[in-house]
This record gives sequence, structure tokens and C-alpha cells, in this order.
Amino acid sequence: MRVVSIIGVGMTRFGKWLERSLQDLGREAIWNAIEDAKVPAKDIQVAYVANGLAPQLTELKGTIGQHVLTSAGIFGIPVVNVENACSSGSTALRGAYLEVASGNCDVALALGVEKLFCGDTARSASAMAQGTTLAKFGFMFVALYSMQLRRWMERTGVTKEQFARVAVKNSYNGSLNPYAQFRRPLTMEEVLNSRLVAEPLTQFMCSTMGDGAAAAIVCAREIASRYTSKPSIDIAACELVSGTFTFPDEEHEPIARRAAKRAYQKAGIGPEDVNVAEVHDGMAPAELLLYEELGFCNEGEAGRMIDEGRTTINGPIPVNPSGGLAAKGHPVGATGLAQVAEIVWQLRGEAGSRQVSNKPRIGLTENAGGWAMDDNAACAVTILKK
Amino acid sequence: MDDVKKQIPIEEGLFCIPASPEEKPYLIGSRCDACGNVTFPKMEVCPRCVIRGTMKEIHLSGKGKLDTFSIVKAALPGFKAPSIQAYVQLVEGPKIWSLITGVEPDPNALKIGMDLELAIERVREDAQGSELMSYQFRPVQH
Repeated sequence: MRVVSIIGVGMTRFGKWLERSLQDLGREAIWNAIEDAKVPAKDIQVAYVANGLAPQLTELKGTIGQHVLTSAGIFGIPVVNVENACSSGSTALRGAYLEVASGNCDVALALGVEKLFCGDTARSASAMAQGTTLAKFGFMFVALYSMQLRRWMERTGVTKEQFARVAVKNSYNGSLNPYAQFRRPLTMEEVLNSRLVAEPLTQFMCSTMGDGAAAAIVCAREIASRYTSKPSIDIAACELVSGTFTFPDEEHEPIARRAAKRAYQKAGIGPEDVNVAEVHDGMAPAELLLYEELGFCNEGEAGRMIDEGRTTINGPIPVNPSGGLAAKGHPVGATGLAQVAEIVWQLRGEAGSRQVSNKPRIGLTENAGGWAMDDNAACAVTILKK
Repeated sequence: MDDVKKQIPIEEGLFCIPASPEEKPYLIGSRCDACGNVTFPKMEVCPRCVIRGTMKEIHLSGKGKLDTFSIVKAALPGFKAPSIQAYVQLVEGPKIWSLITGVEPDPNALKIGMDLELAIERVREDAQGSELMSYQFRPVQH
């Protein structure tokens, strides 16, 4: 398999864009990536397009990729439409990566695009909740998180204040990110006193809906210099797993840990080598749990990591310098590729006022989604190396 | 009669209310002949063995203990709010998601490890006004 580089990334600002269509959002991200890559659009040979909920919430009921690409002027190339709930974006990247790594083509596009706002919040929320067979029984994701957190709090003594600290960090990072939906830094008091959703989760600890698109253009590293003179950002790993069945006599292995293990092995690194990470903070506490599951610290130490500021922009291992899902919102299909775009900018030193200060060379994204038979449906971990 | 609402199971094959009132409702699960693994809901292929033909339908007693819970202030459209969502450790082995009923949505009223029993109750109405019935768990009255 050949080495694959990301030569261009682009995204729209995430937000509530009622007046913009899916095609419009996708087109902006695609052309931002094309311009970043300095690749002629006609050189793109295949596209993987990620989207979660357009059929439920927009007029587009299928072949989302083709609708978006044709509106961007791109016709005729093979298009694969990708849906893996919140992991769709990373799954699209994996598809594009494998096309090039295998030698099947030289230049591929991965795009994630989503419109969750439709003018009827209940309808949007309902569509997001429907992603699991348990939804019709009244199952709510927020309750699942809340239950997982209680167990974790009891086992390790991690506190609500530490959860709030994550939300505060991410809101501050978001305030520095022109692509973030929410750009106002929050205080500890605001986070802790915001409306209780399900103990210990308050409103400001939970990510929200968003509209937006993000794209990445990948090519064989050996031809990257044909297009861009920027430093080569190689995909060292792009690993995807589905959930596992937990038997009564066994301990459940967290899906993020399983995906990360495979990614570290593929990339030939350990968690201590990661300089910057974008992780799936569906809720602020999830980010804290991920510090442990991804191996950034030992079990029981995540609380200390946030207390000591180790994951801030100027810390030794910045996590979610973009502001995470919390500050950006979560346009389901686009999130995974927005994480990738952020890591690319950070590795290149192009992240402006939110640039991490540790001169990063290795970055990681973790993107999980869905719920099937008692585990997340999917989780992807991507490792990029400069 | 128009004022007696029709009751229908929210999904077939999950539970059964026996015709005889002496018999308690039960959950429909499966057990693998090869490895003994018990699942709810019923599965056609054992996730441990992953070969066909080993899963047999069994009845689950509906007895379990509260493993973990969360009281959610909001609810999905049509559902009662606040709701108590939980994982229940069934005596036969599976740990399953369920709503909890028959108790106030108050964290002081619930205790991890408390004994629970199956209750088939209305979770919401459908568009025609029929009551959709599902499995839930309630604290056992000692």
C-alpha cells in the first residue's frame, strides 16, 4: 500500500444556516479544499461523501454525494455515499485513503456535509434520536452518557467540576476559531448552573446540532509536490471498528480504545507520541473519558489532566483546539472531516490564534457514532504525521 | 367502544402476557445451545459462536436488579417526562436497557442493586390513539 498525503482541507463555518442548502454548504467546503490543495478539480478521480440525516430532514432522499458534487461542477467520477452515523466523516476519509493507498487512483476527495436545522427543532432532535432501534422505546443518548458517567464517577472520583472544566476549555478554544458555531467563552459558573439535562450533565456540557461541511483531498505522497508546496501530511492510520457484544462474564472494552489500538499499531506509535488531538466530545465528560481510553493518561488520571491544564492549547497534549463538537456544533456527516481539517492546520502551523504551541508533528482524531446492540455502532481513529 | 383504547405491543416478539391471570408476563429471549450465552431480545445467531442453528427461544423471568439509572428531564415526543432510564441486570445474565416505572423520578427513591420486576405498560400512543405497550421494570414491593 502506498503512502497517502492530505494535500488540501476546507470547511464552512458551522452554524444554523436555514437559508443555505446542503449543496451550497458542500460546494463551499469542496472548493476551499481544492484551493488549499492547488489541485485542478478535474484531477479528482473519486469521491466519498458522508451524510447522516439528509433523507429525514431535507428534500434530498438519496445519492446525496452526486447532488452535492454536481452542484459544485464535478460530474462523472465514481461517488460512494457514506453513512455511519456520527462517524460518517471519518469513514469517508477512510474510503478515499484506501482508494489511493491501494493504487486504484491517485487523487480522491472526502466530503462530509449535513443540515440538521430544518426550522423545527423537535423534528431535528427526533431524527437524531432515531439512529438506534431503541429510540421507539424512549431510549435517549443523553441518559446513556449520564449512566456511563455515574459508574465512572463512582469508580474513579472524577467530579462534575472537572466535566465543567472541559466545557470551559472548549468554549475558549471555540472563541478563537472562525469556523466555530459558538464563539463566546463560558465560565465554570455558567456551565455548572446551566439547565440540568440528566445528572450530572448540564446543558452547556452537551454538544448541539449544526449545519456545515468539511472536505479533504488526498493523493499519493509521491505525486503531492505536483500540486502543493506545503509540508506533506501523511495518513499514518485510518482505522474503523464497529461495536462489540459484551458477554455477562466479560469486561466491555471501550470502542475508542479498540480503534485507537489498531491505529497506533498501524502508525507504529504509542499514545505518548501524539502531539495534538481532536476527539468526539458529544458531551464534555466524554472527552475526559477519552483521555484514558486513548491512552493519553492512565485510568483514573483524566480529572488531573484537565485540572492541570495539560490539554489546553498551550499544554503538552492539546485536545480539541478547534473547540470540539461543543463549540462547533455537530453536523453529523461533517464532524469527522472537520476534525481532520483542524489537525492538518495544526500540523502545518496554520491554525492562527488557536495554534497549539508544542510544534506538533503527530495528530490524532477520534470520531464515534451511533448505538447498536449495546455499544457505539462505529468508531474511527485517524493518525496524521507531518 | 370508543373510550377504551386499543393496546398493542410496541414490537412483536419481545414479551408475552399469558392469557391466564395466574401466570406472570415474561420476556422472550434466546439461549445458545453451544455456549450457554443468553440474550434479550431474542437473536437468531449467537454473537459468541457466530454459527447458525444454535439459538433457542427461551422465556426470561423478568426478575432483575437495578444496575444503573439516569433521570432525564426532557423526553422524546410522545413520551412521559421526566423519564427514568436504566440498565437492568437480569437474573439470567443479560444487562438490558429499560424504562423504570412505578416510582417517583427522584434519585433518592432509587438504589443501585434494588430488586426489580417486569411490568408491561403503556409507553406512548401511536398516531391512531392506540396505546403502545412495552416492557418496563418496577421496584419489587417487599
